[in-house]
Amino acid sequence: MNTPGYPSRRDVVRMVLEGKKPPYTPWSFSFTVEAKETLCQHYQSTELDDVLYNHILGLGSDIGFFEPLGNDLYKDVFGVVWDRSVDKDIGNVKEIILSEPDLSDYTFPDPCHPVFFENIKPLCERHPGMFRVFRIGFSLFERAWTLRGMENLMIDFMLHPGFVYDLMEAIASYNISQIRKALEYDIDAVYFGDDWGQQKGLIMGPGAWRDMIRPHLKNMYQTVRDAGKFVMIHSCGDVKELFDDLVETGVDCFNPFQPEVMDVFALMDRYRGTLSFHGGLSTQKTLPYATPGEVRAESEALLEKGKNGSYIFSPAHAVEGDVPLANMLAFIECARKQLR
Amino acid sequence: MKELLDQISCCIEFGKINNQSPYPPDMKGKDGADELTLKALNEGLNAGDILNMALIKGMEQVGDKFRKNKIFVPQVLMSAKAMGAAMAHLKPFFSSGDVKRKGTCIIGTVQGDLHDIGKNLVAMMVEGNGYEVINLGTDVGADRFLEESEKYPEAVVALSALLTTTMVNMETIVKTLKDKNPGVKVCIGGAPVTQDFCDRISADLYSPDPQGLVEYLNQLHTTNAAN
Repeated sequence: MNTPGYPSRRDVVRMVLEGKKPPYTPWSFSFTVEAKETLCQHYQSTELDDVLYNHILGLGSDIGFFEPLGNDLYKDVFGVVWDRSVDKDIGNVKEIILSEPDLSDYTFPDPCHPVFFENIKPLCERHPGMFRVFRIGFSLFERAWTLRGMENLMIDFMLHPGFVYDLMEAIASYNISQIRKALEYDIDAVYFGDDWGQQKGLIMGPGAWRDMIRPHLKNMYQTVRDAGKFVMIHSCGDVKELFDDLVETGVDCFNPFQPEVMDVFALMDRYRGTLSFHGGLSTQKTLPYATPGEVRAESEALLEKGKNGSYIFSPAHAVEGDVPLANMLAFIECARKQLR
Repeated sequence: MKELLDQISCCIEFGKINNQSPYPPDMKGKDGADELTLKALNEGLNAGDILNMALIKGMEQVGDKFRKNKIFVPQVLMSAKAMGAAMAHLKPFFSSGDVKRKGTCIIGTVQGDLHDIGKNLVAMMVEGNGYEVINLGTDVGADRFLEESEKYPEAVVALSALLTTTMVNMETIVKTLKDKNPGVKVCIGGAPVTQDFCDRISADLYSPDPQGLVEYLNQLHTTNAAN
């Protein structure tokens, strides 16, 4: 269902990503398990996309597909076992699959298994007006460390750079096969999740990122662009030094746009028309601790700035369970009242 | 003697573990922290001098460069590995009491939080600067910190959290530790942690980087040594 007098949400997001001025600032919010339960209870509905009038429809899965093993253990399609006894949303890798810097004994799963695509048609039919995004979580660096272990991979960057390059290439190649299949559906964009940042700077440093990661990103992104679709990415942390590289590799939209580690207003001005941003509302400082009035003030400033284009409003990360309901309702209301 | 100590220091700073290690490329084929530390001991150098004038000196450079974003996690890990290779030769001197550590630091990621990359980096840097580190791992509750703090009453306790949802557990831990031992120093760090939060929960130090904790520990060490 779209709002009378406005273009469809799908079209509004397209306008934003094409660098055009939208009729209002679009939004799309996501929530962790606990926060989602609070909101669902408040709205007496489990269909938050409808209730919140989210603009982006997530297809596939942002964290991957898992087989429950019991005792809070889940195995992903790559064979990695995750423990969700503490972190209920994703969990922690329980053991390493690649114990040596060697890929010769490892076989990647089938990238075109039907499970990756089975929710595309039903979700698109249910939400025809939303902007359709096929998601690949843990899309490169993160997939590499979940297979190899973070510390091992960091050491491999230094001691076995050839292995790291090959591993990244193999993951990208797997993703490209999956992207090609996803592009057979009527989707608008592909989203790549991959955290590269720390609170200050990159985990692996800009040199290693450019040598080992960037070439494979470019190949994945180009596959999407060749099909005339948009590229959306997510990386937590302070990665602002990469924005020019990201534009050059073909990124259209960057999430989560954390205001604690980057000047979101200055960046919106600097990149408007070349790179769009999705996020921007502080989840580390404002949402858990501020008053609803302060949440409203920050939200309204972002929404106002977003009217110039290249911006999709959202908290800078899935909202966590420590955010008071009143604060969640405050930013939701700010976004929604634009259409009244 | 100075030349050898400088060479060892250089191996720590640039992560040259041993002769076999291909990293860093410009030191390929040369002896690393492993061989040079052994050589220094064989030549009669004092283990304490090797620790203070070579290993800690090198690690200070690592901490400083990491703080300034001149090096990143992979390079720090290589330096920690080089440090480990050198320390293996010094271990008997610690056991015999010939060489003493500057102090003890109990470190862990707080209850509900499983993130350990940042916490482990801090542990490596603190250890590399001459302190004994008791690393309690992740998802560590107040009781466990207290148990360890009671075993080592002079130790500084360092708490890490990556999430706003788990950061709140720092307050309980600080309170539990200080209720039992008001003199205990508790330091906090992690992505969402701020100086305001540190002040609010009455922790003793917030540092955005590992070197800040090392500097604080060194300050305490100097003050204690003077008293």
